[in-house]
Amino acid sequence: MNLSDIEVDSVTKRFEDTVAVDNVSMKVAKGELFGLLGPNGAGKSTLTKMLSGMINPTSGTIKVGGYNIKDDPMKVKESLGVVPQDIVLYDYMNARENLAFFGRLYGLSGGKLRNRIEGLLKFTQLDEKAVKRHISTYSGGMKRRVNIAAALLHEPQVMLLDEPTAGLDPKNKLALWEIIQTLHKEGKTIVLTTHMMDEAEELCNIVAIMDRGKIIALGSPRQLVKKVKMENTITVVPDKIPPKLIDAVQKISGVKSSYRAYDENEKIEALKIITERAEDILPDVVSAIAAAGTKILSVQLSRVTLEDVFILLTGRSLREEEKQL
Amino acid sequence: MKLKRTVHQVFAIAKTDFLGIVRNKTAIFFTLLFPLFFLIIIGFTFGGTGTEEASRITVGIVNLDEEITDVNGTDSQNSTIGDAFVQALKDANFTVYEYGEYGDKDTIDTAAYDISRGQIEIAVVIPKNFTEALSFQYTNSTGMPIPTKARLDLYTDPSDPTGSIIAQQSVLGFISGFVKHYQKIAIKQFPSGFQDYVKVLADPITVSTSEADVSGRPLRWIDYMVPGTLGLVLLWSGLNHASMAIANERTKGTFQRMVIAPVSPITVLAGKLISSLAIVYLSAVIMLASGILIFQVNLYWNIPAIVLAIFLGALSAIGIGLIISSLAKNEEAANSIAVLISVPLQFFIGSFFPLTIMPEPAQIFGEALPFTKLVYAMQEIMTKNLPLEAVMPEIIYLAISGLILFALGIIAYRLSLKRL
Repeated sequence: MNLSDIEVDSVTKRFEDTVAVDNVSMKVAKGELFGLLGPNGAGKSTLTKMLSGMINPTSGTIKVGGYNIKDDPMKVKESLGVVPQDIVLYDYMNARENLAFFGRLYGLSGGKLRNRIEGLLKFTQLDEKAVKRHISTYSGGMKRRVNIAAALLHEPQVMLLDEPTAGLDPKNKLALWEIIQTLHKEGKTIVLTTHMMDEAEELCNIVAIMDRGKIIALGSPRQLVKKVKMENTITVVPDKIPPKLIDAVQKISGVKSSYRAYDENEKIEALKIITERAEDILPDVVSAIAAAGTKILSVQLSRVTLEDVFILLTGRSLREEEKQL
Repeated sequence: MKLKRTVHQVFAIAKTDFLGIVRNKTAIFFTLLFPLFFLIIIGFTFGGTGTEEASRITVGIVNLDEEITDVNGTDSQNSTIGDAFVQALKDANFTVYEYGEYGDKDTIDTAAYDISRGQIEIAVVIPKNFTEALSFQYTNSTGMPIPTKARLDLYTDPSDPTGSIIAQQSVLGFISGFVKHYQKIAIKQFPSGFQDYVKVLADPITVSTSEADVSGRPLRWIDYMVPGTLGLVLLWSGLNHASMAIANERTKGTFQRMVIAPVSPITVLAGKLISSLAIVYLSAVIMLASGILIFQVNLYWNIPAIVLAIFLGALSAIGIGLIISSLAKNEEAANSIAVLISVPLQFFIGSFFPLTIMPEPAQIFGEALPFTKLVYAMQEIMTKNLPLEAVMPEIIYLAISGLILFALGIIAYRLSLKRL
């Protein structure tokens, strides 16, 4: 009995001189919510495109639902529900027309198609008035829900969700997280690509961190944090962060890493310090800040996040990566 | 089961594509109504309205048939058939000016002078042996009739090529009908055993032996123009729509969803082909119906031939559109390329202006285009009631170019799948 819904074995994808995915192997077990984490350009999208059969790997083998994607592409496509990152709907048609179209592409017709559409329209929580309006009149959240519904029409066992919450406000993001968790509880195998660490931590059982085409870490969020033997982060918000301050903090015994981080929600710049002994080194950190001639506005001790794991593994923050790209 | 599923997929793609046009006002204008807009503007400007008939064309007659001519060594003077020809022209509602009748000098010089002044648009010179040649008066030593062709000379204004072509086409159409009518009467004069032989003799004026039944029907320029606009339909509704078919979906991302669905590339193309054909036929119906309602065109409706010719022509247009759509980076680029191709081409396919008025290189270029072949075939079928066999070279050309261009479209589409 095959317990994995997705098996990726030594897969490489080259685009001329660029290696987008470099000898990647991984397995996604049945019913698992698997997070594929990494910055833009890490190879996540290329890997999901190969998983969905949109592009072929240069080398290696991919199996979905037990079918080899090279030998049985149609079987793989039938067992997959893909939710693209962008809203991929016909804006001149209403929700029902869109679902009918995508349902027919998956071979549904007649009463079965009608029943699935009605069921999924309830899932999208659109009222009857909204259902009759063209998609172009929908809000972002409504479009996202229909976008997901379109991938569920043929009741796939395996789902690929590519950055499903990108661009959503916090309220709609949470609503979508609930939907993903519901699908997971129903037993679906889900691969979720994201560059949002909080999303991966909140939703996924297993996370693969990708960087420059390779999987650099694989495990549950808790395992990954343990793997790097870290427990705490000190977040200090000073009135300014001169470069010499970061160097000074880095030299403190027990500090694994220190870096500048920008909190988009609070619109503030903070100094993050990763250590195994937060409470022990805190006085030294305060002294270093005072010596650099800066004032402390706030100090916070917190557990290590996947973002911190990524930084420790790559030496770069996700946001730095995105800015470079 | 699999076939049923594929059919559902094809029609779902076709329907969605079709709705994309009919629910988009800009697309409706450029795909369906732009050719009509062209027809109306050019039709009213150059084509004449429905109230104008052949009477708009003034034909000057230089009838030399009344003069004495030498037949078998003796003088003959008979103008019966020449007079009948003139009377038939009048009956066909041309405005006929007979020089002798009004006391003017009955010579080609007089007619040429009137053409230069715009008094008449075309002069027809009836030679002095017209009746004698057509009534088998030339014989050999044994008394058997010698094939003698009567000649009609047409003169038009070289400074007005467009007007000349319209007048010439109209008079040529009339002559064709006259010849046919004459043949029937002439052959009946002979015993049945001689009729095959006489049939050869009775092909006296034009070199054309086609079976076109123009029967003296008066033709206006708009009558040629309306079938000609079917070429425009191919460019605007076929080529333009198909050029957006993939590029549009690629830009919106819906193409990605189609590719990840269990749908074969051929199924996608079949759906796109059906929707493009539906758009082409819808546009053709709008154009032809408008021709009837606005310009009261009087055409022949060989529907199977029209449908077949449009289908074959559409294959070329859709093939080119698919190539553009597959290779263009996005919707905007595809649209720009399609416009860049279709706008200049519409002046080279003979829809509104005959190719003969163009410089030779332009004529050669135009003749090579499949759309020109469709325009020609449609004009022949719809204005002269020629059967499909009469335009078989054009139909074969359309079929071959259509298959080649559509095949190239499929190849381009397959290549585009590698760019996802």
